[in-house]
Amino acid sequence: MGYLIDPANWEWLTAGNNLRFILTGFLINIQIAVLAMILSLIFGLVLALLRISKKPWVRAPALAWIDSFRNLPLIFIILYLALSIPQSWRDAYGDHVPAWFSEAFKSPFFLAAVTGLTLYNSAVIAEIMRAGIVSLEKGQGEAAAALGLPPSKAMRLIILPQGLRRMVPATVSQLITLNKDTTLVSIIGIQEVMRQARIVTNTSGSPFTGSGVDAPLLHVFLVVGLMFVIVNLLLSRLSTRLEIREQQRTGIRVKVTGLEDQVSADAQAV
Amino acid sequence: MQLWQVLIDNFPRFRDGFLVTCQLVGVSFVIALGVGLVIAGLRVQPLRSLKWVGAVYVEFFRNIPLLVLLFISFAGLRRAGINIGAFAAGTGALGLYTAAYVAETVRSGVFAVGRGQVEASLSIGFTYPQTLRRVVLPQAVRTVIPPLGNITIAMIKNSAIIGAVLAIAQDILKEARLINARTFQTNEVFFWAAIGYLILTVTATVAVRYLERRLVIRR
Repeated sequence: MGYLIDPANWEWLTAGNNLRFILTGFLINIQIAVLAMILSLIFGLVLALLRISKKPWVRAPALAWIDSFRNLPLIFIILYLALSIPQSWRDAYGDHVPAWFSEAFKSPFFLAAVTGLTLYNSAVIAEIMRAGIVSLEKGQGEAAAALGLPPSKAMRLIILPQGLRRMVPATVSQLITLNKDTTLVSIIGIQEVMRQARIVTNTSGSPFTGSGVDAPLLHVFLVVGLMFVIVNLLLSRLSTRLEIREQQRTGIRVKVTGLEDQVSADAQAV
Repeated sequence: MQLWQVLIDNFPRFRDGFLVTCQLVGVSFVIALGVGLVIAGLRVQPLRSLKWVGAVYVEFFRNIPLLVLLFISFAGLRRAGINIGAFAAGTGALGLYTAAYVAETVRSGVFAVGRGQVEASLSIGFTYPQTLRRVVLPQAVRTVIPPLGNITIAMIKNSAIIGAVLAIAQDILKEARLINARTFQTNEVFFWAAIGYLILTVTATVAVRYLERRLVIRR
C-alpha cells in the first residue's frame, strides 16, 4: 500500500510529456472504437435482417454466422486475421493509406484489427437488434399488413424504427465493451494506449529519452485503466438515461441488455 | 484431408491447451462467484459506507479493460516486488473482473424479490440474516441463473486474453499460435482451436438452457 501511494511513484504523471503521450494513445482507442462501432452497426443491421428472414435458407446461414462469431473470443479472431491476411493486402493497404493518418491507422495490421472488431461486434449488435425487433408487439406488423403495406415497407416504416429505437441503450452499453476491447489490438502491434503506456514505463526513468523520473508499471496502467473507467462510466450513465426516457415515452419497459456481449431481451408494459 | 491431418498430428497439444483453458475458466469462476457474492452482499446490506465500497468495486472492475488488469496484476505487481505467478495473476484478474458482473447480476436478482416479501418475513419475526437466507436468496438464485450463465460464457471467451499476454499460460489460443509457428497451416490450426472454444461456449449455453428450464420461476 505504501508503494502505491508513495508520492515519489506518482511524480512521472506531471513529468515531461508522459501524460499527454498516454492521452494521445487513448484517443486512438476511442477512434478505433467509434470506427468499429459504425461498421458494426451497418453489418449488424444486415445480419439481423437476414437472421429474421422468413426463408430458412437465408435464416440458417445467418444464424450460423452470428453464433460462430459471437461465441469465439475476440482476441482469437483478431490474431487469426493478423496471421492470415495476405502480405499483398497488407502492402496494398500500406500504399494507399493517407499520410495524415495517425501511426496506428497506418499499421499494416490495422485492417486485421478493424475487421476483427467488426466481425465480432456486428454479430453481437445483430443479436441486440434482433432482440429489439422481436420484442415488438406482433400487432404492429399485423396492423401494417392490414393497412395494405407490403412486408418490405412494413419492415422499413413500422417495425425497424420502433424496434431499433429499443436497442439504442443496449448499443450504447455495447460501446463500453467495445471500448475496452480496443486495447486488444495492441497485441498485434497497433500503437495505441497500451503501447504508449509501455513506452512511458520504459523510457521515463532515462535521463536521455524521458523525463528522468521513474514511471512504475503498476501506476502507469492504473492511470490508463482509470481513463477507461471514466469514459465508460459516462457512457453507462448515458445508456441508463436513454433507457429511462424510452420507457417514459412508450410506457413499455424494454430490457435489452448487452451484458459483456451476451444479449438478452425482455419487454413488459409498466 | 489436410484438416484432419493437422488435428491428428497435434492432438496432444490441442488437448493440453483445451485443459489449460478449462483450468483457467474453472479457477476464475470460483473466484468470480466468491468475490461476486461478497460484493453483492455489501451492496444489499443497509450500511451506507459498505454499500459505497461495493459500488466502487463494481464500477471500477466493470469499466476497466481486462488487458489493463492483466498488465497490473502480473507485470505491475512483479515490478512492485510481489512475486506472483502467471496462473495466479491471470485467474485472479479474470476472476476479480468477472466478479463485478456477478455482483451486479446477484444484486438485481435480490431486488427482483419483492420488497413486500422481505417486510413480511421481518414482521413475522425473522432476523435480517435469516430473511436473506430463507426468503430472499432461494428465490434470487433462481432468477440469476440465466444471466450467470451468460457471464460464464463471456468469461470463457475472456480467458483467451490471458493466454495471449501471459507467456506461461498455454491455453487453446497460445497452443494454436505455437503449432501455427511450426506448421504454417494457419487456417487448419485455427479451425480446430475455434472448435475447442465453441465446444466450451456451446456446452455452457446448453447447460444454462437446461438449468433455466429446471429452476426458473416465471413471475
